[in-house]
This record gives sequence, structure tokens and C-alpha cells, in this order.
Amino acid sequence: MPLDVIMPALGMAQDTGVIVRWLKAPGDAVAEGDALFEVETDKATMEVEAQGAGYLTGVVAEVGAEVPVGQTIAHISKTPEDAASAPEGTARTPDAAKASDSDATPVGEQVIMPALGMAQDTGLIVVWRKEPGAPVLATDILFEVETDKSTVEVEAGHDGFVAALLAEAGEEVPVGDVIALISAQKPDAPVSRSIKDGASVVAEPAPVAGHPAPKAEKPSTGPTAKAQDGRILASPKVRRLALERGLDLARLVKAGHPQPYHVKDLELLIMLPAATDPTTVSAGAARHLTADVPSDAFAAFAIWAADEAGMSDVSALLAGLAAASLGKGDITVAVETFGKAYNYAVSGRRLGAVTNADKDAMPDLRLRDLRNARLSAVQMGAEEIPVLSIMAAGDGLMLTLECSAEHLSALDAITFLTDFAGRMEQPLRHLL
Amino acid sequence: MREITLSQAVNEAIAEEMRRDPTTFVMGEDVAEAGTPFKVLSGLVSEFGTQRVIDTPISEPGFVGMAVGAAMTGARPIVDLMFGDFIYLVMDQLCNQAAKQHYMSGGKLSVPMVLRTNLGATRRSAAQHSQSLQALVAHIPGLKVAMPSSAYEAKGLMKTAIRDNNPVVIFEDKLMYQDKAPVPEEEFLIPFGVANIKREGHDITLIGTSSMVQVAEKAAEILAAEGISAEVIDPRTIVPLDEEMLINSVKKTSRAIVIDEGHQSYGVTAEIASRLNEKAFYHLDAPVLRMGAMDVPVPFSPALEDVTVPTPEGVAENARKLCAGRMIHAA
Amino acid sequence: MTSKTEASSNADDYLRMYTQMVRIRTFEDNANQLYLSAKMPGLTHMYSGQEAVAVGICEALTDNDRITSTHRGHGHCVAKGAEFKAMFCELLGKEEGYCRGKGGSMHIADQSHGNLGANAIVGGSMGIATGSALRAKVLGHDDVTVCFFGDGATAQGILYEVMNMAALWNLPVIYACENNGYSEYTKTEEIAAGSITARAEAFGIEAFTVDGQDVLAVNELSETLVARCRKGEGPFFIELMTYRYHGHHVGDINRAYYRSKEEEADWKENRDPIGRLRGWLVDQGIATENEIEVMNEQIKKDAEEAVAYAEAAAYPDVSEVDMHVYAATDPATV
Repeated sequence: MPLDVIMPALGMAQDTGVIVRWLKAPGDAVAEGDALFEVETDKATMEVEAQGAGYLTGVVAEVGAEVPVGQTIAHISKTPEDAASAPEGTARTPDAAKASDSDATPVGEQVIMPALGMAQDTGLIVVWRKEPGAPVLATDILFEVETDKSTVEVEAGHDGFVAALLAEAGEEVPVGDVIALISAQKPDAPVSRSIKDGASVVAEPAPVAGHPAPKAEKPSTGPTAKAQDGRILASPKVRRLALERGLDLARLVKAGHPQPYHVKDLELLIMLPAATDPTTVSAGAARHLTADVPSDAFAAFAIWAADEAGMSDVSALLAGLAAASLGKGDITVAVETFGKAYNYAVSGRRLGAVTNADKDAMPDLRLRDLRNARLSAVQMGAEEIPVLSIMAAGDGLMLTLECSAEHLSALDAITFLTDFAGRMEQPLRHLL
Repeated sequence: MREITLSQAVNEAIAEEMRRDPTTFVMGEDVAEAGTPFKVLSGLVSEFGTQRVIDTPISEPGFVGMAVGAAMTGARPIVDLMFGDFIYLVMDQLCNQAAKQHYMSGGKLSVPMVLRTNLGATRRSAAQHSQSLQALVAHIPGLKVAMPSSAYEAKGLMKTAIRDNNPVVIFEDKLMYQDKAPVPEEEFLIPFGVANIKREGHDITLIGTSSMVQVAEKAAEILAAEGISAEVIDPRTIVPLDEEMLINSVKKTSRAIVIDEGHQSYGVTAEIASRLNEKAFYHLDAPVLRMGAMDVPVPFSPALEDVTVPTPEGVAENARKLCAGRMIHAA
Repeated sequence: MTSKTEASSNADDYLRMYTQMVRIRTFEDNANQLYLSAKMPGLTHMYSGQEAVAVGICEALTDNDRITSTHRGHGHCVAKGAEFKAMFCELLGKEEGYCRGKGGSMHIADQSHGNLGANAIVGGSMGIATGSALRAKVLGHDDVTVCFFGDGATAQGILYEVMNMAALWNLPVIYACENNGYSEYTKTEEIAAGSITARAEAFGIEAFTVDGQDVLAVNELSETLVARCRKGEGPFFIELMTYRYHGHHVGDINRAYYRSKEEEADWKENRDPIGRLRGWLVDQGIATENEIEVMNEQIKKDAEEAVAYAEAAAYPDVSEVDMHVYAATDPATV
């Protein structure tokens, strides 16, 4: 004793039940098995029986209240006056005795924030329609509650006097919490306070929506961030190995090596020159070839070409001869002479067909005409493209080819310089 | 060492275990005099009698359910399910009952039974007698799944299965019953969860189940002639799976193809490939490929049936592409 | 009701039958309350009203005999010797439950008393029961297995498969069909064509019909059939006419649409198995009303204590979640 009278579980899909009718009044004697109240379910109205004998007391849910399953709504007590004892086992209804101890709250019938809808956990008190201490009938409107649909008027549910208002207008109260007390006698010291002041147990706030799972750390994929064209396609293993060895896969991209990259591509990556800046000195695998042309026949040839064929641009002639010697089809040759650089597009063998190329075009080959300079030898290191330097050497010429191992294979470099030296020695051969 | 057929190996295993443990018995359709249509169990009834080699009516759910009950109460039944395709019929008894009794009872009840059945197409048996359904049962916690790839494994795995206190499903490739392999005369058991490296290699790992092991081995021969060294591994049991050996192999070779005769999609290959992806990711120089039977019901016509299953040439071709760094599918 | 027999020499048996039935009823009342007060996880299925079936049959069995149960399994569990505490613990998913909380109401099993478990699949334990009997035959044991199932389960094909084999091989199994008139929410006559006993007879299995609310009649028949089974004369089939007071499951409260309140009241008031035996015990002078009340109160108290115990008991540790998926295999045999 006292025995809890609870809202029973009514069916698989039901979380709450609406009280349609009380069949016993507070203070009535009940026998075990007596029907106490009727509950509406989605199929029909159901009677709920008393589980023990005694007197019905402590009724806290009135007709029309929607009560969660399992919640205590009344007691069956030894005596009919046992109304003050708080229902056990419910988190939502405060211990009224405790309240009266700590805050001198008057005792009375409890008025709770009713469940107004299936999805509603709290109700916002819009306004109290009765003052503390005022007389009230059960059917009087005691307060207004805002739901997500509209404002609902709630009846007092008990005759008597407003002994305590336990929440203020504008406060949001969890469903099931006690928000007012109605006493049978006029209270000496009616109370009005905020829910924050009270000893009421506030229902736990809705759990904070879980933090979204922290973004999985992007696994390190090697130095791809520096890739010029975004993502690099490479296997997980080659990325890991590149990372471990401090190699940058992006350089393979820059070197024009086709993706996707696999482990065997690391051999290539290792051999790439470290320099990307034309002015920096390359490491290791640079090629430096020289050729000695004993007699400079080109100068005479250039004069002849200008006179006889109207080809007055010496640099263009050089470009044409160089391109032909390189033998890699149509290329753009940058010729630097007297401190100026000119780009030429070379197509085919006809020197007359060498045309000026756009200044911004990317040359494939650089030719430095240093015949009028006082330099006798150059060792500049590999630049970003192969560089052919032409210097005067006595009666002839000193030709220097510099490139990286990746620009030209050894064989190609040798062939190129040999061929060019040959053409510089006997330019007329080119015309054959 | 003597060589015996897979059929003889299974027969020996069961006979030896039945001699050793009087609570072991065999039941299924045509298991007694007929020794099953595949003749695997011939002779058992003469030695052990009809009390322990029991012919059942054609009631798969019924007799598999009875095997569960017999196993729960102290016997060790070996149930013969004539075709792996009939697993669908016994799913409740196998997956709702046998697989779960130990767990649902908090460890108090056990089901030490063996369900012996088969897989494998290219026998012209058409769609409902040619399926390889190991993925269905491997998916269910509480079952163990063994897939012998030769007579040797068939004997060793069967003996372990019979002694295991859990429900074990063993799939034999019905096309291999007459294939011979060296099998020791002395008693031996093959533990579950221990894979076997059939051939060592270092360029690519080929993981094959059941008869796909032979397919992988033939592919490895083809590849060897081209200078590609393939490692061939037989997991032997897919539940439990010897992940460690598979992962170590892939760490060595950095490439893998998983071959199983279940359908290409949602199968054993997907599970193994996925584990390799998870646990050997940074060692992969190529995507892990799955090769299964085509996602079609097994056709009857020989012209069609044979193209639906993985072949050594198909495996070799995929291996070549992976080793050449040519991704099989769009990046 | 059976006429006055040598009541005094079997007084203990009759009293035991009575208390067992009360224990089942009390257990179910408490389980129902646990559900209604939202303390029980999941659902359960009440056996109230059918006590005489479980008790009448199980009193004819030893601990060595086996039973298989159904989703409505608390009655069989208690009748086969289970304790309240471990049962309530299992229903609440606590570690001290019969299945360490891993089975729950629908899979409750008590292996030490030969209960091979409740089964959530209708007909799911028919294979198991028949298999247990097959094992008895193959291994030469003399225990008997009783397969409990409802009238609704006669619609499952596996029943016919296993009855066929049981009959072919004379297996020591008794098929006990608890016909409570309803298959979930549908009347039996709407789901079972023809005669239920004729189904067994078609396989040459001797079939009997008995008033399932008369525990003495059920017990007498069971004793006979169990003895015959042990001699190899099985299998047998019993159809027990009974009634469940609650709905199909505890949440099936609004059921007037398929079952009238008058019908329910009639069975409860006029054919209650506990009330009937009680009356008979008093008539026969085996117990007085007072003594019976005392027994009832004690059982009620035991149940309440067990419920309180179970409510306070601990859940299994989370680390158990992946234990017992596989049984350990004795390495000595491998």
C-alpha cells in the first residue's frame, strides 16, 4: 500500500492511452477486479481493473488526459484520504511532500501538464486564467497551453482553490509534470513560482542530437595536394611507398608520365631531376655533350640562304637545322641570340617553312647562339628542356648539348648532337 | 603416397568417425543401399547397419530438423543433402534453429551436426541442380562452412567437421568425386580456419575455393610461362576464415584475385576481397578482383553453361591486366 | 472429472499437479503485469487457461524425458521443473536467466530438466522433437520426447514430414496438439480443414482426443502413452481441447473482434482447470480449502519475490554479446 494504478500497455503500437471515463471517484472504495477507468485505444474503449482493494486516491490524470504507458495515474490506498502521498516510480510527478517541506507549498490535488499529442513532450504555458488563491471549479479553464497546432484550454479538473501555481506563463513544462495544486480549503499562503524554483522533477530534456560521427580522417595519400590537375590516380601501395621515401608523385604528373601510377613507376620517379626551375642546377643525371666543328660552314651558308633564298633570319635557319637533327617531328625551338629569345615552329625539313612561333609557346628545344659572345665553353646544367649552345671556337664552332637523362636517352642525345654538328659542318647536306 | 578419389576420401572419413564414435550416424535420401546417387557412401550400411545409415523420405526440412534435435540431445548426425540447391528448403532448420540454439540458450544447448552437400555447375544439370550456395550459409552466425578442394581436404575436413560441436556445412564439388589426390593412410585432420598455400609466388595472389583452386593453379601455370609468378591459396574453410594467411600473401604480392563458384554479386569473393581491402589496403598495387559465376541462373545448354563459370584463361587474363597496371574498370 | 480413485495413495501427485498449475497461473499473471507496467522488453505469450495440458503431460515425464515447447512456452517450462527466479530473469533479459538473457521468453530453454526450448517459429521445434526421439532410438536410450504445438501449427508442412518419419521408424515421440480454438487471431476451423487427429491417423499413428482442462484425464492418458513409447510402441498423437484466457500475445488486448467476451468468461468460470482440480481435491479430502489457500498464497509470495529478484538482477555484461555463437570443441577429440 498504496498500490500504483498505472496506464497499462494496451497494444503493440501504443505508447499512450487516453482516459475516457473514470468509473470510480477519488475516495471511493474499490475491490480487486473492479473497473476503475476506461481507456481509449485505437480499436475500442477498454476497462482497466483495480489490482487490489482499498480506496481510490491520488488521481492525477483527468478525463481526456493522454497518459504514457506505465505512468502512475492514481493510487489504491488504505484510507480514502491518502491523497497526499506521491505516486511511486514515476519520474514525472514531483514528490508533493518534499515540495511542502522545502518550500512550504500547500498540499492539494495535482494538476499536471497534460499530454496533448503523441509527439509532444512538453507544453508551453501561455497564460494562467486563475490567480493563486482564487476559487475554481473543475470545469473552469485553469490555463492555456500552446501546442504545435494551436492553443488549448485546460480545465482545472478539481473543485477548490488554486493553492499553488508551480510554473510561470511562458515556461515550457514537460508532459506529466505537476504545474498546479488545487486545495479543498482556501489556502493561507498560495504560491506562485517558476518551475526552476520548485522541487519538481523535470523530465529529462530530449537527448541532444548525437554529434555527427567525426569525419573519418582522410588517409594520407602522399603529396598529391600539390598535383597541378587535382587528384592523382595511384595505387595505395605506391602512395605509401612514395610517402615513406619522401617522393612526390606529382612530379611524375609534371613529367607527363601517364597515370595511374603503380609501384614500378617509382623507379622513374626516382630518376627524375629534382629541378623544375630553369635556373636551378639539376642533380645527378644530366647529360653534357660537346662537339667540335673544325670549320664553320654555317656562316657562309647563312649568307647564301639570305641572298639566294631570301631567308634572312639566321636564327630560323638554326632552328630548322636543330629540329631536323633532333628528329622528333614538329617542334618549337627557342633561339636565344644577342640576349633575345625568339620562338620558331619547325615543321618538316624545308628551312623556308620555319615560322615564327608565339612568344608564349612552350619550346621543346632551346638553342643559344653564342657565336658572338666571348664564351668558349658552357656548362650550365640541365634545364627544363634540352639546350644546344653554339660558340665560336677558332675557325670552327664548339657545340654543347645539355639536357636531363629524361629529356633524351643517351642514344638520342648522341645522335642529335652528332647530326647537328654534321649539319653545321656541311649545311648543304641538309638540303639534300 | 596412395591416391584415392574424393568420393573414397569422404567415405573413409565418415566410416572412420563412425567407428570411433558410436553416437555418429548418417541420414539422408538414398544413403543406405544406394550410397547416395553419387555413390559416395557406398558400403557404409553394410558395416554400420540401417540403424546408423538411415534412408529418409524426400523431406528435407523434416530430416534436417530431426538432425538438429538429435544433435541437441547427444547424437552426432551427418545429414546428406543431395544437392546444394536444396539448402533453400532447409533454411529455417539450419539457420533459425541449428545456427542459433547455442547462442539462444546462453551456451547450454549445442548442435554438433554436419550437413554434407555439394556445389558446382558444368554438369548439364540446369538451374536448380547446379548452384553453389556457400555464401548463403556463410552469412549466418553460428554455422561453419568447409569447402574441400581435393580428396585430401575432403577427408581431413570431414573428420574435423564431425568432431566439431557446431553445425558445419561441407560443400563438395560434385564434378570432382572421381578426381584423385594423394591421401595419407594414417589418420589426419585438417583444422578449420587454416588456409593452405598450394603454390608460392610473388606477383599476384590467387585465392580460390573448392574446384576454383584447380582453376587458379592452371592459371598460375599459364602465367608462369609469361613470367608472372602467381601464388595460389586455398582457404579450405570460409567460416572460420584464415584471414591472416591471405593478408600476408597479399602484402607480399600486392595484388589479388578471389575466385569462387558462387555468383559474382554478393558472394564469398566479395567478403574476402573486402577484408583484403580493409586490412591490406596500403599494400595493394591493384584493385582486388572478384571472379564468380555469372549472375545468371545456370543455363542448361552446354554452349551457354560453360561460359558462366571462371576458367583458367579468364583468371590469367585478369592477372595479366592487374600486373601490367591496367585497371580493369574505369578509374 | 475422473471418479474417486485410490486418491490417498497418489495424494502427493495430485497436490503436486495442483501446485504446478497454480505456479503456472501465478507466473503468467506476474509476467503479464511486467508487460503491462512496461517493464518487460519485447512481447510474451500467456499460457493461462492451458495449465492442465502442460502439467498433465509433464507429470508423466522424468527429467530425462525431453520436451520441445512453443512461443507460448512458460507453462511447459514450469511444468518441466523450472524455477521462478531463473525464468523471470530470462524474461527480463538478465544474466541469471536460464539462457543468460540471450533467449528471452520465446526461446527459453531449461536443458537440465530436459526442456529443449521454446521456439519462435511455428512448427520450428517439431523437427527437433522428432530428432530427439530418433536419437533415443539410434543410441538405444529409453527416454520419450513430447512435442508441444498448437492447432495453428498443424498448418506447417514439417509436421507431416516428421510424423511420417516418426511413424516409419516407431520413434518414441508424442505429438501433443494444444487445440485452444484459435490460431493467432483466427478460429481454428477457419485454418484447419478436416480433422486434426485424422492427420496423424493417416500415418498410422494412434491419435487421442482429451479434455485439456481436466488435468487428471490428461495425466492418465499421458502416463499410458509414455509407458508405451518406452516399449517402442510410439509415436502417438494427442489433441487436447483447451483455451487460452489472454490474447495471442500480451499486447493483444482488444480482441473482441475475433473472440467474444462471453466465450472467454464461459471458459474461465465454468471450465477452469485449476478450479476443477481444486474442487476435486477438496471433495476427495486430499486438501482443505484452507490448505489450498495457504499453498496459493505461498506460490504468490514466491512469485513476487522472484519478480523482485529478477528486477534487481544484473544484465549480462556487454562483453557477452559475442560469446556462445560457437560451441567450444573438445580439443582432446580433435
